[in-house]
Amino acid sequence: MPLLYLLACLLFAARASAQGLPTEPVSVAGGRVVFGGEVFVTFGEKDPGWFNYTDYEYNALRNIRLSLATEVRASQRLQVLAELRLDHGQHFSAYALFARIRPWPDRRFDVQIGRVPPTFGAFRRTIYAYDNALIGQPLAYQYLLALRTDSVPLNADDLLRARGNGWLVGYQVGSAERSPGLPLFKSNLYDTGVQVHGVAGALEWTGAVTAGSLSDPLLTDNNGRPQAVGRATVQLGPAVRLGASGARGAWLDESLDSALPSGETARDYRQDAVAIDAEVSAGRWLGRAEWIRASWRLPALAAPLIADPVVAESFIVEGRVRLWPGVSLAARADTLQFSDLTGSTATMQWEAPVRRFETAVTYAVTRNIGAKLAWQRNLRDGGRVRHDSLLASQLVYWF
Amino acid sequence: MKAFAAALALSALMLAAVSAVAAAAADPTARAQRSAPGGIRGRLVLAQAPRSNERRPEVASPGAGGFRERTDRRAGVVYLEQAPRGAFDEPVRVRAVMDQQNERFEPHLLAVTVGTMVEFPNSDRTYHNVFSLSRAKRFDLGRYATGKSKSVLMDRPGVVRVFCDIHSHMNAFVLVFAHPFFDVTEPDGRYELANVPPGSYTVVGWHEGEPRVERAVTVSSGSWVELDLSAP
Repeated sequence: MPLLYLLACLLFAARASAQGLPTEPVSVAGGRVVFGGEVFVTFGEKDPGWFNYTDYEYNALRNIRLSLATEVRASQRLQVLAELRLDHGQHFSAYALFARIRPWPDRRFDVQIGRVPPTFGAFRRTIYAYDNALIGQPLAYQYLLALRTDSVPLNADDLLRARGNGWLVGYQVGSAERSPGLPLFKSNLYDTGVQVHGVAGALEWTGAVTAGSLSDPLLTDNNGRPQAVGRATVQLGPAVRLGASGARGAWLDESLDSALPSGETARDYRQDAVAIDAEVSAGRWLGRAEWIRASWRLPALAAPLIADPVVAESFIVEGRVRLWPGVSLAARADTLQFSDLTGSTATMQWEAPVRRFETAVTYAVTRNIGAKLAWQRNLRDGGRVRHDSLLASQLVYWF
Repeated sequence: MKAFAAALALSALMLAAVSAVAAAAADPTARAQRSAPGGIRGRLVLAQAPRSNERRPEVASPGAGGFRERTDRRAGVVYLEQAPRGAFDEPVRVRAVMDQQNERFEPHLLAVTVGTMVEFPNSDRTYHNVFSLSRAKRFDLGRYATGKSKSVLMDRPGVVRVFCDIHSHMNAFVLVFAHPFFDVTEPDGRYELANVPPGSYTVVGWHEGEPRVERAVTVSSGSWVELDLSAP
C-alpha cells in the first residue's frame, strides 16, 4: 500500500507543480505580513508495536499535517509569529504564538515571549520538510516512555511492569485513567515562557525560562517551578557545527502533591537533561549526530523503592547524500537506553531499550514538492511487539 | 546570316543581363541597402510592483536571521519568439557569472545563449548549495564554501530556476536562448534588441511569475521599431 500511495503522490505532485501552487512565502502589505505553509501526507503500514506513536496519539507514519505559519513584521524591533497546525485531521492548535523583540536592530539579539520554539536539542531545527530527509522522528523526540506527569508508580515493580507500554500507561498513584506516556523530549509542542537568543561571531546561544519541562511543554505552569533551559552552538568553519544543550525543571503535576512523601511537592521532582550534537557537511554529504541524557526523579513511596532518578540515554546518527539532482538517500540509526532499576525479583533497565534504523529515498518533483519512501526497523527488549519493520511513504509540499 | 545575327544579338543581350545581375549581387553596398538590420526598443512595463522574496516565517527559530539585502526583482527579459535565419549558427562558448552574496544571487536574472558556462562563485560567509530542478537544466553543485566557485554549462534553451538548498529564500533565474535576440530590461523596463534582420517577428516580454506578453512586429531595413509591452 505505501508503494501505491507513493505512486499516487508522485502523480499528484506532478499535477500540483503544473498548476501553479505558491512556490515561495506569500507576502502582503509590502512584506509586513508573510505566510508560509507546509503539507505532509504520510501513509505507512500499521504499527502494532506503537513505535511511532506520539504524544498526540497519532502515528507519525500515518498522518496528515497542515501547517500555516505567519510572521507579522510590525517594525524592525517587533515581530509576532504564529503557527496553526492541524494534525491527523483533528488536532488543530496554535502551535506557536510569540512576540519577537529585537532591542537593537543592528545586533543579532532577540527576546521571544509567548509560546516559544524549543531551546533544547538539534532536531527541532531540522524538521522542516526540506531538511528532514526521513519520515520518522528520532526516538528521543517522539517515543513514548512509561512516565506520566499525573500518575506515578508506587514502587520499582510497578514501573518495571510498565516497560514497553508507554503508549498507554497508568499507575496506582494519581490519575487512574490510562493514557499515553511522555517522550524524553516532546519537541512536537512548544513551551510557554521567555527566550533570549544571541549571535556573536561563530557563537550562537539561547536561554529560556518556560512553564513546562522537556517531556511536557505547557501552556500554563502545573507545579510552581519553571524550567531553565539553554543551548549554545559554535560554527567551526562552514562545514562543522557543534552544539550543547542543558535543561532543568520540575516535571510532575501538582495534582500529585497529596500523594507525595510528607514535606515534598511536585516542584521537588526534576527532569534534568544534557545533550551534545554535531553537524558536518561537505559537497553532497550531510551528517548529524546527537547524544542526549535525561533523568527524572520519581517519588520513593513503597518498597522496592525507586531511590535514584531514572535515566534515559539516546544516541542519534544520521546522514544524507544527494545522488542526483532532486534525488537523495538518507539513513538514521538511533537508540534509547535506560538505567538499571532493582525490583523484587530482578534488576533490569527501567524501560525497555529501543533501537531504530530508518532509511529513505526522496524525490523532489520541484524544489517544494517531493515524495519520500522510507523503510524502518524497530527493535525493543520488552512490550508485546518486540520488533517490527515498517514501510511508509510521504508527500511533502511547502511554500 | 540573318538567323546568325539574331542569335548573336540575343546571346549578347542575355550575357549583358546576366552580367548586370551578377554585378548587382556582388555589390555589398547595394545588398546592405536592401537588408540592413534594424532593431526593436521600448519598455516592458509591469502592471504592479513585483513582490520581494521574503524569508519563510521563522517560527522554529529562537531568533531572527541576520541582515539580508532585498533582491531587486524588477528586471524582465524581452526576446524574439522565432529567431531569424542564421541565428542558429554554431554557438560561441562564453562565460557568465551569477554570484552569491548576502544570501542572495547576484544578478537575480541572467539571460545567456546556449553553450554559455555559468559560474556560481560563493562570495558569502556561509556554505551555499546551488541547484536547479528545471527541465532545461537539472543540476546540484553540492555545498561549497566561501571563495570557491562551481560552474554549469547551459546546453539547452529554456528557463532555469536556481535555488540554494540551505537558504530557502535564495532563488534566481537563468534564461537560456538559442539565438542572440534578447535583452534583460533595465530597472525602469527599458530594453533594446539590436541587429535584427528585416522581417516579421513575435516579441515576447517575460517577467518572473507573470504570464508573458506577446506582440507582433515588423522590422524594416535599417530602422528601429518602438514597442512598449505591458505585463498583466
